[in-house]
This record gives sequence, structure tokens and C-alpha cells, in this order.
Amino acid sequence: MKRAVSAVLLVAAVLLQVGVVDRLPLPWGAVPDAVLLVLVAVALHSGPAGAAAAGFACGLAIDLLPPADHEAGRFALLYCLVGYLVSRHGRGEARGAPARYGVAAAAALGTAAGYALLGVLLADPRVGLAAAAFAVPATAAVTMLISPVLLAPAERLLRLLDTERHDGLGPPVAPVRIGGGWRG
Amino acid sequence: MRRERTRRRLVLAALAAASVGLMAVDAGDEPHPATSAARHAAAAAFAPVSDAASAVFRPVTDAAAAIAAAPGAKRRIDELEQRNSELSAELAARDLDDRRSRDLEELLQLSGLGGYEVLPARSVTRVGTGGYADAVTLDVGTRDGVRPNMTVVDGGGLVGRVVRAAERTSTVLLISDGASSVGVRMEGTGQIGVVHGRSHPLDSDAPAELELMRADAKIAEGDRIVTMGSHDGAPFVPGVPVGTVTEVRDTPGALTRTAEVRPAVDLGALDIVGVVLAAPEEDPRDAVLPSEPPSDAGRSPKGEQG
Repeated sequence: MKRAVSAVLLVAAVLLQVGVVDRLPLPWGAVPDAVLLVLVAVALHSGPAGAAAAGFACGLAIDLLPPADHEAGRFALLYCLVGYLVSRHGRGEARGAPARYGVAAAAALGTAAGYALLGVLLADPRVGLAAAAFAVPATAAVTMLISPVLLAPAERLLRLLDTERHDGLGPPVAPVRIGGGWRG
Repeated sequence: MRRERTRRRLVLAALAAASVGLMAVDAGDEPHPATSAARHAAAAAFAPVSDAASAVFRPVTDAAAAIAAAPGAKRRIDELEQRNSELSAELAARDLDDRRSRDLEELLQLSGLGGYEVLPARSVTRVGTGGYADAVTLDVGTRDGVRPNMTVVDGGGLVGRVVRAAERTSTVLLISDGASSVGVRMEGTGQIGVVHGRSHPLDSDAPAELELMRADAKIAEGDRIVTMGSHDGAPFVPGVPVGTVTEVRDTPGALTRTAEVRPAVDLGALDIVGVVLAAPEEDPRDAVLPSEPPSDAGRSPKGEQG
């Protein structure tokens, strides 16, 4: 159930991103990353391998769907790493709402920086130090600007599913504690 | 647990490797067939969704575009307004130029007919000292050869005479000024008289008055008047149209006959005028008058009575 909901959320986020957000004539060219926010919410509620796979799938979709103008695989790699790292390390930190936003902000900043870094590595002529110095914080900032309307509802829905699944087994427990020994 | 950790690291490594491989394949100048095929497939699958999203969110994107364009639109409006006012000014200037060109043409014609040597000038300001004097300032002066007591004409006829000439400006006393008197001659009959300016008469709107020297002189409405000419052409050169008789006054017992005169020139709307620098060799007499009285009833009412 949770997997299906996560998949639906991610597909919706991808469609929202490429269908609407990427096409908005936003000032200064900084585009919010709706997929990243939903991916963070999903990764906070799933295992590292699943989150990495989900991130890879979303990233590949973003890489291939029409407004894409970069090499396929950039977002796949970035989202894959974001999914993995958020799931692996963020879950322990993100017990409260502020911490979740912190994780999302770190992910947004990391994604934007990683995108710029990949651009530099791949000799993308559009990515320079000056452009990146503006685009990285700007993208992270506008992403965080829309996070209350995407991250919070998605996270809340997934948390609801977490608790429902354990309703019959005893008192509801916080989702982050379910795994118990997930730290390995 | 250890196996779990190994498994997920393997998954991550495989996915990362796949991404890097994709990038490596796709990074060349030409897109790799596999990735471009994938892109095409994705685009084809996404097209309906894209269309639907576009249709649904068009108002949103339009609004966003409008908001994003708002500062530019403001600037654009300012630009257009400025351009508009520039063009209006240009158009007005062109109208003015047209009128001046017409004025100059008429002036040229008059000076050609009379054989006057004319210096074109613009009347800059109309001055009236305390409301009594009727005078205009011209933008030419001694620098251009203007001297006091020169005749000033316009395409229609006599304007006045230069009373003061400074280096760059000169002052012209109009024939309607109370202090102005012009020696004149009637068209045809050649009777002589004087046209006095009346400045701002209370009893009629005629700005000038004709006084004929003989009490029994024949005079009728519509009769035209030209300057008689002064000694050496100063202050008035001969033959310049002065005006038209509009009303003959019946003054029994007076030594002279008087009539109201409508000047040949619209003294209220002077623009391009000419200063006559040199009088013609011989008196043009009536040659400068238009060949037939203008049919415009308002300007010169006809009424040929002996």
C-alpha cells in the first residue's frame, strides 16, 4: 500500500514538474524542484535501496521527458544518491518538522550543487562558476519556498499509512522507529 | 543485517553506475541512438499529459507570464507614451513647418510682384506696453541688415514698420497701433489718405481707420488700399496692400472722409513676416494686389457703389 502510494506520489510529482513547473516563466530562471521534495518525503519512509531505486526512476523520467536539455542520467544519479542518503541518514534526524525541512534543504542544496558539478564535469557550456554561484542557492531557495505545500502533505500521508499498518498490532509507533534495527 | 547492507549498497552502486553510464553515452555531440529512442518514446507517451497539463494550467502560466512581464510592461508603456508624445510633437512641428512654408511662399510671391527685397523673419512675441501699444518682436536685427523705419510685410500685405532694431531682434509697430499712420492710396482712383491704427477701439472691431484728404472723395465698401510710399522707401515702400474698406462713415461737415479698414494681414496670427530691405526701383502701384478681390466675403465684402 505504502509503496503504491509512494509511486503514485512520485509519478504525480514528475508530471507536475515537467508539465507545469518547468514551463512556468519564473523570474531569474530559478525553478523549484517539486520532484525532490516528494522524493525526500518518500525516502523518509522507505528503505535505502527502495529510495535509491525510486530516485533513479524519477530522475530518469526527468532526464528523458521533453523539457529536458541535458544528458540523460544526471538527475537519475543525483536523485538516486539523494534517495539513498536521505533514507540512510536522514531518517534518524528527521523526527520533527523542522528537521525534515532541514533534510529537504540539504537535499535541495546538494542536488543543485551536484547538478552544477556534473555540468562542470561534463563540460556543459552553460554551467560556469558565476552561473552556479547564483543558480545553486536560488534553486535551493525556491525549492524550499514551495516545500510547505509539497513536502509536508506527502510526508503526512506516508506517515499516516505507516501508523495505519501497525494499528492492529498495538499502539501506533513513530514511523522512524519501525525498523528498529535499520541502522544495521 | 550484513547481507541487507551489502544488498542495498549493491543496488546503489548499480544505479549510480547506470546513471554514469547513461551520461557517458549521452554526453557526446550526437545523442546516442538508445537515449534518443528513449527520449522519443518518453516524449510520445508524455505528449497527451503535456497537452492536458498545458490546457489546464494555461491560465496559471499566462498569469505567471503576465506577472513576470509586469515590470517590463510598465517600462514598455512608458516607452510608448514617450514615443507617442515625440511623434505628436513631430506632427505638430510638421504642420507648423507646412504653414510657415506656405507663409514664406506667399511672402516670396508678394516680394516678387512688388520687386521688394525681403528678409524673412519670425515674429517671436507680441508686445503691448500697458495694453496700448500693438507691436511684435522679430528674430532679426541689425546683424541681418534691419534698420529702424523699414517696412514689414507678410504674404498678405502690410504689417507695420520697424521702430527699433537691436543686434538680434527688432520691434515692429503694427498698423493697428494707435501711434501708427500710413500714407495710402486708393486702388484705381489713386486718392490719397492716411490709415491710422486704433489699437483697441470701443465702437467697432476694425483695428484701423482710413482718413481721406478730400471731403468729397468717392469711397465704397470693398475698396482696396495700398501704401503710397515714403521718401526713399522709409518708413513705407510703395504698393504694399494695406487693407479693405469695410464701412464708410458718414460725417457731414467734416473736412475729411473716414472709413473703417480691415487690414490685409491677420495681425492676430503673425508668424513668418518679411522686412523690406530695399524698395523697388519704381512704384509697383496696384500690381501687388491680388488680380481680383478675394471671393471670401468675410475678408473683403463686396459692394461696388460709385
